Amino acid sequence: MIFARRSHSVLPGFNVALGITLLYLSLIVLIPLSAALFKTFTLTWDAFVAHVTAPRVLASLRLSFGAALIAAAINAVFGLLVAWVLVRYPFPGRRVVDALVDLPFALPTAVAGIALTAIYAPNGWLGKPLLESFDLKVAFTPLGILVALTFIGLPFVVRTVQPVLEDLERELEEAAQSLGASHAQTFARVILPTLAPALLTGFALAFARAVGEYGSVIFIAGNMPMVSEIAPLMIITKLEQYDYAGATSVAVVMLAASFALLLAINLLQWWSRRYAESDA
Amino acid sequence: MSIQVIDVSKRFGTFEALHHVSLDIEPGELVALLGPSGSGKTTLLRVIAGLEVPDSGSILFNAQDTTAKRVQDRNVGFVFQHYALFRHMTIFENVAFGLRVRPRALRPSNEAIREKVVKLLKLVQLEWLADRYPHQLSGGQRQRIALARARAIEPKVLLLDEPFGALDAKVRRELRRWLRRLHDEIHLTSVFVTHDQEEAFEVADRIVVVNRGRIEQVGAPGEVYDHPATPFVYQFLGNVNLFEGRISRGIAHVSGRRLAAPEHDGAVDALATAYVRPHDIDVSVQKSDSAVAATVDHAVALGSVVRLELTRHDTGDVVEAEIPRDRYDGLKIVHGQVVYLAPRRARFFLETAAPTSEAA
Repeated sequence: MIFARRSHSVLPGFNVALGITLLYLSLIVLIPLSAALFKTFTLTWDAFVAHVTAPRVLASLRLSFGAALIAAAINAVFGLLVAWVLVRYPFPGRRVVDALVDLPFALPTAVAGIALTAIYAPNGWLGKPLLESFDLKVAFTPLGILVALTFIGLPFVVRTVQPVLEDLERELEEAAQSLGASHAQTFARVILPTLAPALLTGFALAFARAVGEYGSVIFIAGNMPMVSEIAPLMIITKLEQYDYAGATSVAVVMLAASFALLLAINLLQWWSRRYAESDA
Repeated sequence: MSIQVIDVSKRFGTFEALHHVSLDIEPGELVALLGPSGSGKTTLLRVIAGLEVPDSGSILFNAQDTTAKRVQDRNVGFVFQHYALFRHMTIFENVAFGLRVRPRALRPSNEAIREKVVKLLKLVQLEWLADRYPHQLSGGQRQRIALARARAIEPKVLLLDEPFGALDAKVRRELRRWLRRLHDEIHLTSVFVTHDQEEAFEVADRIVVVNRGRIEQVGAPGEVYDHPATPFVYQFLGNVNLFEGRISRGIAHVSGRRLAAPEHDGAVDALATAYVRPHDIDVSVQKSDSAVAATVDHAVALGSVVRLELTRHDTGDVVEAEIPRDRYDGLKIVHGQVVYLAPRRARFFLETAAPTSEAA
């Protein structure tokens, strides 16, 4: 093996280290995932298909992935904006705002869920005016789910874009402008392509988190079958009915879909990094 | 195109980067802004480019006020010290950038862009790198591409901010000769910033010495070196030794020797400092009243000259002297020996005189 022959590594005993790494990853990641897979295999193919194509399951999957994608997209836009402001403009209280960004990440999800529900409920601070003036119902609808998923996903985009933005040389912008580029052209042709890999990473992380989110969503979702029931809740519901195989079959579909989406994002990222310096 | 800088001042917080600076640059000239770091030379260049807005004063291009114009509309080519190439674009696209961002009505066709970029890449002798990315190029190549990119918009002025500062000595030398040749072919009005006097002397038609936000002297390289206007210029351009002396009616008395100082005709018994270049010091082994005693600390042979480092007996100051190799061998100077020094030629600045910074 090529790696084994590499000259003096800092870490002694490459073979031992590799062995431990593989064992650890197997125990922590691989075995639980394959257990879900094996449990599903107790079903026949037809039964599996019947389980996952049940209208209620399909609706929940559509909602989970759809809302997660939209939430991640919203976060990509506004997370970039927040990161930009935090990096580029010195203003009083910047450190406080900077710390605030981590809050959705640090907060127990149930706390976030209750807080959001209280605010967006039809009699809440924001929910009431929204309902009265715009006839917009947020809590206990898919919109509420979107709000919760956007809330918990924000730090991922900000924290991945921020360091890259800090390293972005202002000279690049000045060079573009001295060549005649407008502000919009400078942003679209110079800044955004440079930030794209980090932005995609942030998007992927926010998306992954949103797909699996449970605690902050179930309060605000209302959990109406076919309307505002998320896929993780579907799994719980089936578990409570002792339908273990049914629960894992939903899990397997989520697993496959998440994997496919993350793979696609990674490929996109690899492509957007094609110019990256080898030593970076 | 001519550039006029008229009474420009610029502050950053409490730091005064430029203090009422005025400067005229002739069309087709290659001018060096020379000064130590923090002297304001880069700020001056950026004000000319429109990357900084001056607090007061104005910038004229061809006698037209451009102070309020944005950098996008000034049509200047700007080359950065660290190249500032767009790393997600190929070399070709980097050079084409200035043409591609033009408004649709003024944008050349793809074919015309292609032709122009290839021509520019040939000019910088790097057409074979068109499809590479910036990180695959060496520093010298990157800077040449940056220059090609700046030239693509057919600028009326080329501004270079320490263009060779990030390169190693050999590449730097090659590149500045190449820049000089390029300028001789095209005669585009150019201003470049440097802290390296050798670079300024080798490349520029005229040198502007900048210090602490003020222009100390403007002149041809030889003129600036031979007739420094201020003590700062004298010290900045090469090594110098200071001797205390007195001046009376155009005659200076320095360590027992009389030297002509016609520029200070009016002074009577004034305290003056003599600025003496190392090669303008006489070294002798014979004791004399018109010379100061000093001990030889070091002797370093540098090709045809020998540089002596000495300690003066009277003041304890360190003096640097350069004498021809032959003379050094003839004197048979050894380490620790006492020798006698006298300035042969000096430039005097009166102690009380205010810095004559506006002298040009």
